[in-house]
Amino acid sequence: MLTFKVLAALLHYPDEETVDSLDEMKAALAAERLLPARERRAVEAFMDTLRGQDVMDAQAAYVALFDQSRGLSLHLFEHIHGESRDRGQAMVNLIEHYRAAGLEVSANELPDYLPLFLEFLSLQPLPEARRLLSEPIEVIALLRARLEKRDAPYAALLRAIEALAERRADEAAIRETVAKERRDDTPEALDASWEDAPVTFTGAADPSGCDAAASMVARFAPPKGGGE
Amino acid sequence: MSQFVDRLLFFKKYVDRFPHGFGVVTNESRAWEDSYRQRWQHDKIVRSTHGTNCTGSCSWKIYVKNGLVTWETQQTDYPRTRPDMPNHEPRGCSRGASYSWYIYSGNRLKYPLIRARLLRLWRAERAAKDPVAAWTAIVEDPEKSRHYKSIRGMGGFVRATWDEATEMIAAANVYTVKKYGPDRVVGFSPIPAMSMVSYAAGTRYLSLIGGTCMSFYDWYCDLPPSSPQTWGEQTDVPESADWYNAGFLILWGSNVPQTRTPDAHFYAEVRYKGAKSVVICPDYSEAAKFADLWLSPQAGTDAAVAMAMGHVILKEFHAERTVPYFEDYCRRYTDLPLLVRLEKRGKGYVPGRFLRASDFADGLGQANNPEWKTVAWDEASGEVVVPLGSIGFRWGESGKWNIEPREGGSGAETRLRLSAIGRSDAVAAVQFPYFGGHAREYFKSTDHAPVLTRNVPVSHIETAEGTVAVATVYDLLLAHYGIDRGLGGEAAKSYDDDLPYTPAWQERITGVKREHVIRTARAFASNAERTNGRSMVILGAGLNHWYHMDMNYRGIINMLMLCGCIGQSGGGWAHYVGQEKLRPQTGWLPLAFALDWNRPPRQMNSTSYFYAHTSQWKYETLGVHEILSPLADPAAWTGSIIDCNVRAERMGWLPSSPQLETNPLDVCKAAAAAGKEPAAYAVEALQTGTLRMSCEDPDNPKNFPRNLFIWRSNLLGASGKGHEYFLKHLLGAKNGVLGQDLGARGLPKPEEVAWRDIPPDGKLDLMVTIDFRMNTSGLFSDIVLPTATWYEKNDLNTTDMHPFIHPLTAAVDPVWESRSDWAIFRGIAEAFSKAAVGHLGVEKDLVLTPLLHDMPGEIAQPFGVRDWKKGECEPVPGKTMPTMTVVERDYPNTYRKFTALGPLLAKLGNGGKGISWKTEEEVEFLRHLNRPVEEEGVSKGMPRIHSDVHAIETVLTLAPETNGHVAVKAWQALGRNTGREHAHLALHREDEKIRFRDLVAQPRKIISSPTWSGIESEQVSYNAGWTNVHELIPWRTLTGRQQFYLDHPWMVAFGESFTLYKPPIDTKTIDGIMEEKDNGNPQVVLNFITPHQKWGIHSTYTDNLLMLTLSRGGPIIWISEVDAGKAGIEDNDWIEAYNRNGAFVARAVVSQRIQPGTTFMYHAQEKMTNVPGSEITRERGGIHNSATRATLKPTHMIGGYAQFSYGFNYYGTVGSNRDEFVIMRKMKEVDWLDRPLEEKRQYMEKAE
Repeated sequence: MLTFKVLAALLHYPDEETVDSLDEMKAALAAERLLPARERRAVEAFMDTLRGQDVMDAQAAYVALFDQSRGLSLHLFEHIHGESRDRGQAMVNLIEHYRAAGLEVSANELPDYLPLFLEFLSLQPLPEARRLLSEPIEVIALLRARLEKRDAPYAALLRAIEALAERRADEAAIRETVAKERRDDTPEALDASWEDAPVTFTGAADPSGCDAAASMVARFAPPKGGGE
Repeated sequence: MSQFVDRLLFFKKYVDRFPHGFGVVTNESRAWEDSYRQRWQHDKIVRSTHGTNCTGSCSWKIYVKNGLVTWETQQTDYPRTRPDMPNHEPRGCSRGASYSWYIYSGNRLKYPLIRARLLRLWRAERAAKDPVAAWTAIVEDPEKSRHYKSIRGMGGFVRATWDEATEMIAAANVYTVKKYGPDRVVGFSPIPAMSMVSYAAGTRYLSLIGGTCMSFYDWYCDLPPSSPQTWGEQTDVPESADWYNAGFLILWGSNVPQTRTPDAHFYAEVRYKGAKSVVICPDYSEAAKFADLWLSPQAGTDAAVAMAMGHVILKEFHAERTVPYFEDYCRRYTDLPLLVRLEKRGKGYVPGRFLRASDFADGLGQANNPEWKTVAWDEASGEVVVPLGSIGFRWGESGKWNIEPREGGSGAETRLRLSAIGRSDAVAAVQFPYFGGHAREYFKSTDHAPVLTRNVPVSHIETAEGTVAVATVYDLLLAHYGIDRGLGGEAAKSYDDDLPYTPAWQERITGVKREHVIRTARAFASNAERTNGRSMVILGAGLNHWYHMDMNYRGIINMLMLCGCIGQSGGGWAHYVGQEKLRPQTGWLPLAFALDWNRPPRQMNSTSYFYAHTSQWKYETLGVHEILSPLADPAAWTGSIIDCNVRAERMGWLPSSPQLETNPLDVCKAAAAAGKEPAAYAVEALQTGTLRMSCEDPDNPKNFPRNLFIWRSNLLGASGKGHEYFLKHLLGAKNGVLGQDLGARGLPKPEEVAWRDIPPDGKLDLMVTIDFRMNTSGLFSDIVLPTATWYEKNDLNTTDMHPFIHPLTAAVDPVWESRSDWAIFRGIAEAFSKAAVGHLGVEKDLVLTPLLHDMPGEIAQPFGVRDWKKGECEPVPGKTMPTMTVVERDYPNTYRKFTALGPLLAKLGNGGKGISWKTEEEVEFLRHLNRPVEEEGVSKGMPRIHSDVHAIETVLTLAPETNGHVAVKAWQALGRNTGREHAHLALHREDEKIRFRDLVAQPRKIISSPTWSGIESEQVSYNAGWTNVHELIPWRTLTGRQQFYLDHPWMVAFGESFTLYKPPIDTKTIDGIMEEKDNGNPQVVLNFITPHQKWGIHSTYTDNLLMLTLSRGGPIIWISEVDAGKAGIEDNDWIEAYNRNGAFVARAVVSQRIQPGTTFMYHAQEKMTNVPGSEITRERGGIHNSATRATLKPTHMIGGYAQFSYGFNYYGTVGSNRDEFVIMRKMKEVDWLDRPLEEKRQYMEKAE
């Protein structure tokens, strides 16, 4: 399914070849008609913007967005596993998955790179591709929402990808997450998010004894005054 | 996939029971276990380590699965120690265990990046021009060059191909070499020991083209100048296992459990063996809780504590009774018996220089270098003798440079007299400088006079110039410490006397109770007495990062020497700061500095360099007179600190970069045109003034640094003292310098240096950072190249914490577009060779080198200080000014030379530290091992050094430490100098040749070599000075002995011939700014201390979420409860700290740990990690170095004088920063500046 491939190419670092192939890509999208009209128009608009731009400006924007920001990393596991040791194993599993489908990663890229994953999907039967795409759909939706927040034209591509999936992310949850992030913008909220809860020791605040232990017990205790 | 339906909810199946019903055999599916098995399965384990910043040198297992690094664990296969000692392993810490994260991190640099503005200019020019012409068109157009320089630090990078990036770099290098001179291309990379081939990659390239390699150890202020001063040794220390041999351990300004985590177990273990430990540091550190006694002197006053302890040791263990071991040790191994000339001053005397053989009419029978041979009294005959071992015996003759107790002429045995009491003809008043009376805000001073007069037994001796008064160092030392020896005059009768340097005196300054000082000194010395020197001091940055670090260190070193601890197992000084023991050093040097192709390389001391080129000197407010001895003549010391540095460069003491205002290639051409030798031509031109040294006019565009490579380092984000000055003057970027320069303030300007009011447009044309993560240096660079991580390349790693050499190995190939440092510089060399054609051919380059330590030039200037420029002497290269050498550079063949082992090793041999040996066999061996170059050209038939493994094998084959055969040759070479047999130290390992694959299999213990002063043996742990004491090899000092007394005229002038207490300097950076920047919140002034941290190694790991989670997730600064109360600061508040140098923000950690009056900020917390904007500068954050500025110390500039001779990373000015103060207050407004790039850039352009 070339639509997946087109989105992969557009989401990858832009260069002259990308720009030169825009017509070909448009044609592929039109022929397959996999994308709903609204999403397809948005992708085409993205292509037109790209075409009208100096390639180097597009590249600088791309580097600033995706290469220097962890929150917008196009490596899916950055958002799922972060620095955890599980990330290595997750990537190993993904490579196994590609191999099972008879594909070896040839580019100098990690297996969880979203454009790479999209290319893989383009080689799968459509129902399977839609199903697989829905697995990381929350991450994709989150990326889309963050790009929207920045008014980045790339959001259109992510919306299109979402439209291809079998399942949609819980928009309310995504919105809630991003809304929380928006609130994080204020100095007070940023401050609060880094605030450590004060540690108090015996007798410091609670004359009845060890504070920390007491508060822990309190958390698990049944609500007082209930109908016991 | 769920196994829910396979699992039984209500039944339990069983097939059989074990006997007695203890076990059950079931038939249930155990497939669920596979996920656990697979989780920990892996394809291979590869040995590697963490190879730049951390000096722990721990071997790690890297687990690889499907070509991906999945995790790491500690290696546990170090060779065992002796039966009575704990083993080294396991080594490693939380930082190392989280490194694998970096490889696939979102912060990883993945592609070569170039700032779009520059790349666009480049592509436009390059379309029609050759690379060099294209670069010329950009940088010679002021508009274009400002266009790309002014947005440094503001983003705007695009990806580039390697070909394009290396071509641009090559073009810039060729242009700079051709237009300004090769020394304008410079490179900075630290601590080669941690990944020596990666370091060598860049320095080999630079050395081939004639570029400048920058030092790091002195710039980091990790170099303790006291070590070269006392021992003529850069730094040599015991391995951490030797802590276990100590009976008494002082930890002084060193926080071992936090900053030496993998070694700390030896410290814990030796306490179980019964060792006592005293910890001395102002804060209640992690080490403090190990202490039997914790002393907390006011930060910066440690020298006073050390002087008082020395007082107790001298009184109780030297003056009041004789400890045979101590007395014998001091007589044989130190300068205490040597004679010092006393100069008449008023009614008394002041100590002058050592008496020399040349002072006597007959030279005491010494024809060779009599002016470099010190003298003493023979105890039995009372005659003046010339004991063996002084530096005069090192050069010009052989077989006599040893410290056997013999007389230099006849070879008769001699026992030197320590004290003149009983033989002297007079007791005279001798004057000593005293600095503790300097009133200095925030520090306590005493009311003693600036000159102390003490009675000393003095003798009169007939010399060629008549009768001179002399005294032994021993008698002078005791008088200086205020020990009462019944000679009358002022001396301490009791420890309670308020007299320098008694325990009571120090209590006034440091706040430490006198009885604690007395108790510690007594226990320290009495343990050494009972164990023949097994008392040890682990000392560190807490002492060495002060301006007067030498005083802190020498005070402690004196204690160790007086108790015979240096060179004894379990004893000695243990300085573990930025240690860089590159064990196979002599094998590595030819590779690193291309000594196989041309000599000498250009090496520069970074402190003086950055002081000059980031224009920090233009803000200098420390006057030379403030630190001058009260006994010195102030009229002889006009000018400012940079003037001292310029004089030092002129006299051949310190190196210069750039060296000459005129391109040295052009100097050679002009000389040829005039039919003269280039050196002779240059001397004449310098004398007439038609040629100038660059140091006299650093702001002249001809003298700008032009191209800067930074690799394996975060110069701007971690080590760059005066961060804001770097941004302003070197880069021309937005900056937060808050003060004005001397010109604007109408303060006196330097004498020797031209003052220019230049706009801060950025001196550098090109800055290239090579790293695996985007750090602060990368942010400000023009080109950023992605390098392989420590698990993606092959390299070597050694430390002084343990005696093993072990590798970094490529567990996986470098991901994305990254390449190893070796491959990167090889690629640049290739591009350079291509770009050079048509611009540079075979050129002659005139290289200036200072008078070097361990070379004959170290005895160039025996008496006095003479500046040829002032007509005080003739300009003679290599004698009164830098050595001048013509080096031929074949620029189009740079790549061929880079990738082959050149002819000079077979022709000239190899060596180091004053000895040399032939090495044709090793070159021949490498020809077979690495295969010869087959391509036609200058390198045909030579051993290949194409890959990193070739480079590694070259190092291992050439070095005595890893090739037993070379070790034997090296010891034999030294034996010819000393006249003693030393080869027994290596003979038993002669056939051993350690190769790369051996190291991959297991870490290997190195072979003993004369490069180092300790030995590798199954009997003793590595300990510095061991071969001096046990093999009678002289220390590489003037006297050949450990020196209490330093007699160079500049040491005398600054009052440091004997160590003493000097209060911290006044940097004046808080003057007149407090009111100006007031934000309404209460402010406190605090001493600004920047120690190593727990959650990072310098800036590495400070962007790692695991480490950030363990600390507070962003920049923090520690303050005491008292100061927090004064300023109304609560724990976790955002605070801003500032002074004239700049401002930074951080969260406050309010803790009882911190001494009131000080603040601790762990250094190198990166400005891109959770840092908001500063209220004052309106720029993001600042870093710890935003509040610092380097200040040079004149005594560190001395050269041409035995151990006071320049060596790269061995001696020179150091970047101290602990004397600094900041103003701190709670922030009013926390602005995260979290707005899109475009808005900021528009703001920038408006500002332009």
